[in-house]
Amino acid sequence: MIRINDVCKTYIMGEEIVRALDHASLHIAEGEFVGVVGPSGSGKSTLMNIIGCLDMADSGEYLLDGQRIEHYSENELAQIRNKKIGFIFQNFNLLAKMTAAENIELPLVYQRVGQKDRRERVAQALERVGLTDRKTHKPTELSGGQQQRVAVARAIATNPSLLLADEPTGNLDSRTGEEIMRLFEDLNREGNTVVLITHDEKVAARTGRTVRIFDGRIEEGV
Amino acid sequence: MFGQSMKMAFGAILSNKMRSFLTMLGIIIGVFSLVVLVSLVTSATGSVQAQISEIGSDMLSVNIFTDQGKPIKAADLAEISENEHIGKVAPAGTVYVTAKFERDSADVTVYGTTASYFEIQNLKIAEGRTLRGFDLENHTYVAVVDANVAETLFPGKSAVGKGLSLNGTRFEIVGVLESNDSFSGMMMGWNTVVVPFTTAQRTFSGFGSIRSFYATAASSEDVDAAEAYLREYLTARYGTEDTFNIFNMNILAATMDQVMAVFSLLFGGIAAISLLVGGIGIMNIMLVSVTERTREIGIRKAIGARRSSIMSQFLIEALALSLVGCAIGIALSGLTVLIFNIAARSSEMLSQVSVGLSPTVVIVAVCFSTAIGLLFGLYPANKAAKMRPIDALRYE
Repeated sequence: MIRINDVCKTYIMGEEIVRALDHASLHIAEGEFVGVVGPSGSGKSTLMNIIGCLDMADSGEYLLDGQRIEHYSENELAQIRNKKIGFIFQNFNLLAKMTAAENIELPLVYQRVGQKDRRERVAQALERVGLTDRKTHKPTELSGGQQQRVAVARAIATNPSLLLADEPTGNLDSRTGEEIMRLFEDLNREGNTVVLITHDEKVAARTGRTVRIFDGRIEEGV
Repeated sequence: MFGQSMKMAFGAILSNKMRSFLTMLGIIIGVFSLVVLVSLVTSATGSVQAQISEIGSDMLSVNIFTDQGKPIKAADLAEISENEHIGKVAPAGTVYVTAKFERDSADVTVYGTTASYFEIQNLKIAEGRTLRGFDLENHTYVAVVDANVAETLFPGKSAVGKGLSLNGTRFEIVGVLESNDSFSGMMMGWNTVVVPFTTAQRTFSGFGSIRSFYATAASSEDVDAAEAYLREYLTARYGTEDTFNIFNMNILAATMDQVMAVFSLLFGGIAAISLLVGGIGIMNIMLVSVTERTREIGIRKAIGARRSSIMSQFLIEALALSLVGCAIGIALSGLTVLIFNIAARSSEMLSQVSVGLSPTVVIVAVCFSTAIGLLFGLYPANKAAKMRPIDALRYE
């Protein structure tokens, strides 16, 4: 499913060269629920960006579903993000001017799914996260937990190969965080591959396998 | 996809109504001034041209500066009128005198001429008669006055049959001209009195010989031939072309056309500049909008928006701003023209002027606005489309 071999990524921050990923390798099989855990500045976000095809590695190779990502054009990467990856962010990243349903619909619009089909899949996704009665609400009219559930619904609406969550419970209180975690567990049980990035050991412990990242190096767990 | 982009563009415009309106204002004012000014000039040209052709563009007027002791006589004019290209000929001399009736007086221009003059100048009689052949043969003291003179000296009464004193000589009024606010009326001036040429020669000192005369071409195709004949005739008589001048109404029409074209271009240019300024306003606000929505762009890109999707979203927004502005501008122009026409109808001066929106300029305005929306939307839209998703997502 995901195969990262010997990937390096360096940033130049002012005069300092930051080695965000230092010969990192990672292998995730289909249907796994993997927690990537590490302190801030460890290279977690860089790893997430590369897995999510938002950024490119400087060296090494990354295969997603057996496809090498390195040589794709920007538009092809946009298509891969659109079809294969469902993002869930710490701060939800919903579009404030759109309703819950419209937010969920957006990736389907970019996929050029027909209107009737779109409406069906939005309804399914909303039902899956239990927010059917909130579909016409705008993000500001929803609680944090509800907003994150809308984000999850947006991520699963396209039936992606991979759900990629970056600190999904980071902005939520422990009770709603628990709700979201249970949602991820359920989604994984239904066969979705989930990669969850966190600094919280307790959250990581809920996943099927924990991968530790420190100073840009990955220690794969079992 | 396109429908979605449209929906998003209008959503963005409506969510910031005041800002969108102020941005559009540049385009609104630009389109408004372009359409109204050019429509005004076009209509004015049309109405002036109509009045020129009403006088008859087949009219030629001849002025002789020095007659070198060989003055044109009535017999010479008769000879000229024999030419196949010439229709009618009438001498015209003018003097400025004071007309008196009882205690009222008016400063008038006296035209000494013949009966043909009325036909050449297309003057209509409201009451009484024009000059006749025997008036000229017998040097009768008769006068045809215009409506202005009649109204000034004989308010509310018929002037026909009344006596009128011109510089102390008594003339009998035999006719009153129709009031004439057309272009030819303007050329002749108001307060005119027309008397037989022969009588004027005897009565007014300094009237002298025929210094100017009018002629019509036999038909409108003969104007150039008629002019050539007159030029040849007068050159043969005086030996040089410097002592006379022939004025052709066609030239007046052509000059008028040129002047109006220059005005059109000038006004159009000024309006185009304000449209350009409006375009810069759109670009400015689109750049602000792109920066404000960096995070939105990041989210859209993360969930799979291609460059072209982002590009078209912002381009359509810029285009919508300029085209909505254009539509408002055209609507406002239409309203202005409507109000102008209603006002003009009740005004004496402008009663013949009717302004219509020139379809050409409306099309030009729409094309121009489209071009401006695209041109000035391109840079901000491209800036948005080129953003890297991780940078855009990180933007606070």
